[in-house]
Order: sequence, then structure tokens, then C-alpha cells
Amino acid sequence: MIERMLNTPLAQWIDERSGVVGMIRKHLIEYPTPKNLNYMWNFGSLAMLVLALQILSGIFLAMFYKPSAMVTEGGYTMAFDSVQRIMRDVDYGWLIRYIHAVGASAFFFLIYMHFARGLYYGSYKKPRELLWIVGVIILLTMQATAFFGYLLPWGQMSYWGATVITNLFGSVPIVGHFILELLRGGFSISDPTLNRFFSLHYLFPMILVAIVVFHLHALHVVHSNNPTGVEPSEKGVVPFHPYYTVKDLFGVGVFLIAFCYFVFFNPTGWGFMLEPDNFSPASSFTTPAHIAPLWYLTPWYSILRAFPDKLVGIIAMALSMLLLFFIPWLDRGRVRSARYRPMYRQMVILFFVSVLVLGYCGHVELTQTLRLIVRIATAVYFGFFLFLPFVTKHEKTRPLPQDV
Amino acid sequence: MSEPTDHKRRNFLWGLASGLGAAGVAGMAVPFVKSMLPAADTLAASTTEYDVSTVVPGQLVVIAWQGIPVFVVHRTEKMLEHLDGHYFRLKDPESHADPSNGHVVEATWMKTKEQRISRAIKPQYLVTNAHCTHLGCIPLFKPSAGQAEWGDTVPTWWPGGFHCPCHGSLYDLAGRVFDGSPAPYNLYLVPYKYTAETKILIG
Amino acid sequence: MKTMPWSAAILGIIIACAPAAAFAEGTLPLKHPHITMDKKTLQEGAEVFVNICMGCHSAKFMTYGDLMHYPEIGMTRKQVDAIRGSKPLIDGMTTALTAADAKMSFGKVPPDLSVITLSRRGPDYVYSILTGFKHDPSGRIPDGHYNAYFPGNNIAMPDPLAWFNHDPKDTKKIEEQARSVSSFLAFIAEPHQIKRRLLGRYVIAFLVLLTVVLWLLKREVWKDIEH
Repeated sequence: MIERMLNTPLAQWIDERSGVVGMIRKHLIEYPTPKNLNYMWNFGSLAMLVLALQILSGIFLAMFYKPSAMVTEGGYTMAFDSVQRIMRDVDYGWLIRYIHAVGASAFFFLIYMHFARGLYYGSYKKPRELLWIVGVIILLTMQATAFFGYLLPWGQMSYWGATVITNLFGSVPIVGHFILELLRGGFSISDPTLNRFFSLHYLFPMILVAIVVFHLHALHVVHSNNPTGVEPSEKGVVPFHPYYTVKDLFGVGVFLIAFCYFVFFNPTGWGFMLEPDNFSPASSFTTPAHIAPLWYLTPWYSILRAFPDKLVGIIAMALSMLLLFFIPWLDRGRVRSARYRPMYRQMVILFFVSVLVLGYCGHVELTQTLRLIVRIATAVYFGFFLFLPFVTKHEKTRPLPQDV
Repeated sequence: MSEPTDHKRRNFLWGLASGLGAAGVAGMAVPFVKSMLPAADTLAASTTEYDVSTVVPGQLVVIAWQGIPVFVVHRTEKMLEHLDGHYFRLKDPESHADPSNGHVVEATWMKTKEQRISRAIKPQYLVTNAHCTHLGCIPLFKPSAGQAEWGDTVPTWWPGGFHCPCHGSLYDLAGRVFDGSPAPYNLYLVPYKYTAETKILIG
Repeated sequence: MKTMPWSAAILGIIIACAPAAAFAEGTLPLKHPHITMDKKTLQEGAEVFVNICMGCHSAKFMTYGDLMHYPEIGMTRKQVDAIRGSKPLIDGMTTALTAADAKMSFGKVPPDLSVITLSRRGPDYVYSILTGFKHDPSGRIPDGHYNAYFPGNNIAMPDPLAWFNHDPKDTKKIEEQARSVSSFLAFIAEPHQIKRRLLGRYVIAFLVLLTVVLWLLKREVWKDIEH
């Protein structure tokens, strides 16, 4: 049926003047894809779906949200009040808000799984290094977007989380204070901050879309990796449509079931997606007992807190993300997929576990034991990058298959 | 590669999946579109209640309904008498016009000639939209007859009513527009009803 | 499919940790009343809220008109008029106690209760607090301000339902007041929650159906390929 649509006179007319039909054929229909991709390859398309959902729900929220910290009765603000209005008075406003809040967490979950696939199967290795680098840029842009967005409801966590993170930037030597003033527009998190964060929260997803388009373009130049890491022969590829359109659609179905479970039956996500403290209006006079970022930023937050010296902590946190850029070169092995690299496999699994441990610790009150665990996990995390060049240069790999 | 392709089953599944998918997308669009309709708090403010007994005889009060100013006049016996005697000076003495701009000058409760003259459910309380039907200014309340209070801003035969300062439109105490005024219609009516002896609900 | 166990394991760890991590540290386990949102409970809870809580607390995001307009509460015009006095229907339910006076009398401004069950540990927490006033074993905190469930035990709010040292024959009555007002507060924190869960059932049922069809389609299409 799609073929029939693409062959209509109208489609031909458009194609002659834009090449769109040709592009659809080349990139969505005939695009050769390895036939052995497993379900870890679904996360990219799912992430795109969630990006679209976030933009859709975000635009509608912006029709009702008021980015003003002007004080209203009871110690609230126009911003907080407008969110309550969305939840109570706007038809289905509650649904749009919950889609956006759950969607943010879903987006990060999917991207972390997508990253895990890349790390495990060596999707960052030549010739896909640029693809990987663009991916890390996408992660950083997402984190910035989430940071700007979280201030908007102007709850206690919004206010204090923003205070802590902006102070972090302010601690950078020399330029720190200037950056801090630029971000805040005042002497503390205040109305000017809120207004500009709203503007930036609207802007960054647009930047994200552009970067994602480039990410897809770069992918289509080098083509997808596969679980064996071996470049497929002609017999090992299938056209994207119908094989992967149908598999991706099934993945969407499964994802939406989980997504809608949260949206309709557990929108606060046990307090991880919509935190209790954020239902209290922001107050510059009282700090919540327990400030922590949302779960998807907790690993990096843990690394920050692992070091007693503030500056060292900030550098470590920045390094923990910047090191990701260098993985294609730190890994000097020839073999791609961890399936055939027993040593690398253990290292990367340890790395995943360290991230999970850091994530958990970033969310709870640190006891002495937990502090020790955080330090060990941080060591493992950085150890992964440190040992990669040495282990991978001389690792023994298992024999590779001939084809996929 | 064992069994031949069952095209019937395949096409059926494609069709079913597409149909369900389309239904799903349509279903998802509904709440987003609906969210753009007036919200519950906007609708709650779409009616205004007012106790007309708070208006002193002879007094004009201006209240708000959906952001629109509304005249409420407590007309005395004398003022009601002044509604007669200038029938032929009025553009639309019995409020038959259809402004065709979303506003009305005629109401369903206007059944008798008296109601068409007084333009009110209870004759002693006039309730109309306060905008002049020319270009929307708010006319001044000049209830007393003659030129004693108003000088020559009103004609000598002035029976009392409203005078718009912007372009000089004149209305009587029932909001009916006089010939010679730039305003085309009588003061527009707002939908209202009595919920109690002296309580009206507008909207 | 070799990685399915991995992703499932990772997912499993995350989901298993979630409720554990959400549990607040070092406080008494909460009482668990039967929170319901039937009309009778909600209306009784609204009465308790208006007659007792509103002496000090507001719930500004709940309007008097909402008491009529939400079918789950479904108060009549007469009932609402009795409650609101001369306040307009579109006004939020706010207390007459000013912040300044509250600070003077209690040392703290009583928080707005519109979303209290979401900003604390749910309606169970509210119920526990209301029925948690007891005598301080160490004798430091005065009676009426010692609460077994409040973090730090020293609560500025003086025993609103007179739980402490109540006559045992009143226990059922006070417990019911606490239960109904906790249910009312749980409802007003998110007035669309009942509709939400109902809609959710239909949405998930539809999605399950759609996903099954998509699974069959995927399996059918992939029959062509040796994989």
C-alpha cells in the first residue's frame, strides 16, 4: 500500500521537486539493516517517539503555564498556581502534565538503555565514532533541557535543586561568577531566572531535534551495528521495511503499555518522577531535609558528592561525562561486540553496575557505609576508562562468526 | 523458508494493525484538542450572580460578566413613565432588529408590548450590556428629564436615559436608541434570569 | 534474544529498588486506614475540613463551586451555600487566619492543604498525624504537641481532633473524622484521579490488544527470514 501511495502522480510531482519520495525509499524502506538485531536496538526509535511526545505535551502545557515567580496568596507563585490550574481546570490538563513528567523519566531511561547497547556491542567503534560523539552531545543537551524544565513548577525541589546546580557552575574558577549571573539574572534563583529557564526549556528541544536529525543522518552513512559486531554480508541484511518497521512498532506497543501504566496508575512514580517536596511551594527560607536531583541525574550527583573538596568534586563530575566522548579511542581492541570479548564484557558490566550503585546512592541520605560504597563505585566508574586502553590492547577475544 | 507466504493473513494483520493504530492516534488527539476549550475556572466565571436589591431606586450600577460591563438600573415609577411619549423618535422602539454580530436586542421573554417597551423581565430593573452599539464606549447615565441637569448636551425633549460621550448617541431609560444617533441598535441585552425575588444570574 | 535477560535484570533491579528507596528513613510505620472516595466519605470529610481545619488552614486550589461541580463530592447548591457564607463560588477555600497571626500564635504558618497528601506521605500520613497525639515519654514536649508520627515529634499544630486523652467511647467517632478528612484531602490533591484510573483501564486494554496484533504481525512478517 505504501508503494501505491509513493507511485501516485501527486507523489511523483513532489518527488521531482524535492526528492522526498526517493529519500523515503532509500532511508525508510530499502535501507539495509542487519537481520540479527535484537530488542536492544529498539531503544533509539523509542527515544525518538518520546522526544515527539515531550514536544507535543510541552507545547500544550506552554499554553497554560505562567513563567512568573510573582507571589500569590498562601506563599505560592503564579507559576505553581498555573500548574495547579492545568491539573484541575484545564480539560485533560492532568493527562498532558503527567505525560510530560513521566515522559521525561522515560526519555532518560530509554537513552541509558540505548547507551548500554552501544557500550556493550561496540557501536562506538570505527566507523561509528562520530555517531557516538553526537550521542553524548544529545545526552548533555537532554540534561540541560531537564535542568531548565525542573525549575518551572517552582516547588521546593525546583528552587533548591536549581540553587545547588547553579552554585556549582558558579564555583568554576575565573568564569564561574559570570556564568552564575548569566544563568540567574539576579542574586538568587528568582523571577528573571524562571523566565529565562522557560525560554531555554522551549529552545533546547528544538536544538535536540536538529542534533537527532544529524545523528540519524550519520547513522545512515555507516549503517547499524549488530550483536555480533561483524559487518554483515549481502545475505545478512534485510530492507528496513517491513522487517524493522514492524519490529519497531511492536516495541512501541510494549513501551506504551509500560508508559501508560505510569501515566494512569502511578504518575508520581513512587516519588521518583514527581517528588513529594515539589508539591510544596518554593520557599527561600526553608531548605528541604534532603535535596537530590531526579533519579536520572543521580549518578553524576553521586560522583560530585564522593569528593570532600568542592572543586575536585565538580571536576570529577565534569570528567565523568567528558570521558564518555573518548571511549572510541580509549578502547583499542579490534573486536566490537562484548559477546566475543570476555574481559571487556566483565569490565563493561561492572561499569553498568557502578552507575546503578551511584544512581541509588545519589538519591538517599549518605551514611558512613554508603559513603564508602560511593567511593568504591566512583573508583570502578573511573577505573573503567582508565583500564580500557590497557586491557583492550592485549585482550584475548573469542573467535568471531563469519556473518551475522 | 518452510511455508509459503500467507498473504491473506499478512494483509489482514497489516489492516488490523493500521486500523487500531489510527484509532489510537485519533483517541490520543482528543484530550489535546479538548484541553484548548475553555477551562473549568473560565467556565465558572461565565456566570455572574447579582442581588439587584442592592441598587438604590434611580441608581445605575455597573457590574462585570465575562469581562463585559453590564448596566443595572433600578427604575422608579417616574422613570418608567418616561419610557412613553417619544415612540417616533426611536430607531427600533419595539426591539425587532437583528444585529447579526453575536449580540441581541430582543429576548425570548419579550412577549408583551409592555415588555418590549421596558426591555426588562421585571420592569423596575433594567439589565443591559453597557457598551454603546456604535463603537463600544460606555454611555453616561443621564436619568433626569429635560436640560436642567445636563445643559445642551441633551436635546430639549430629553426624557432621561443614556448619552454616549464618544460620538453623541442617545438612548432612553430602556436603552432604546434615538434617531440621529450614530449607534445603529438599542443597547444589547445580556442573557439573565431571576433565581430569587431580587437575585439575577447573568450568563 | 540473549540480551533480554540482561535488560530484564537491569529493569528488575531498578524497579525493585524503587519502593525501598522511596521509604522515608527512621520514622514510625504509618497507620493504614481504609481511604475511600465515595460521596458520603468525601462530604463528611469536607465538613470536617471546613469546620475544623479551615480555622487555620486554607485549601486555595479547591473552590466552593468545586464542591458542587466535582460529581465525586456532588454537594448540592444548598449545602455549598451553607458552607461558603458570603464568599463567591469561584473563591478558593481559604482560612480567615492571617499568616502574621498564625506565626504569633503557633510559631509557624499552617501550610495550605490543597496538595498536602502529595507533598507528604499520603493520606495515611495525615490520618496517622491526626490520631498520633500522645504524651511525650521524655516529658519535654507539651501534651497536644507531641506527635508520634511527625518527624522530630514536635508538631506546631495543636491536636485538632482532640485525640489526646479522648474518652474511649469517642474513639470510633474521631477515627472516622480523621479517615474522612484524610480521604477528602487525598481527593482534592488530585480531583481527577478516579477518572484517570478509569480511563487508564481502557487505554491499557486497548494497548494490550494493539500490541498483540503488532506481535502477530511481526512474527508473520519475519517468517520470510531465517533468523
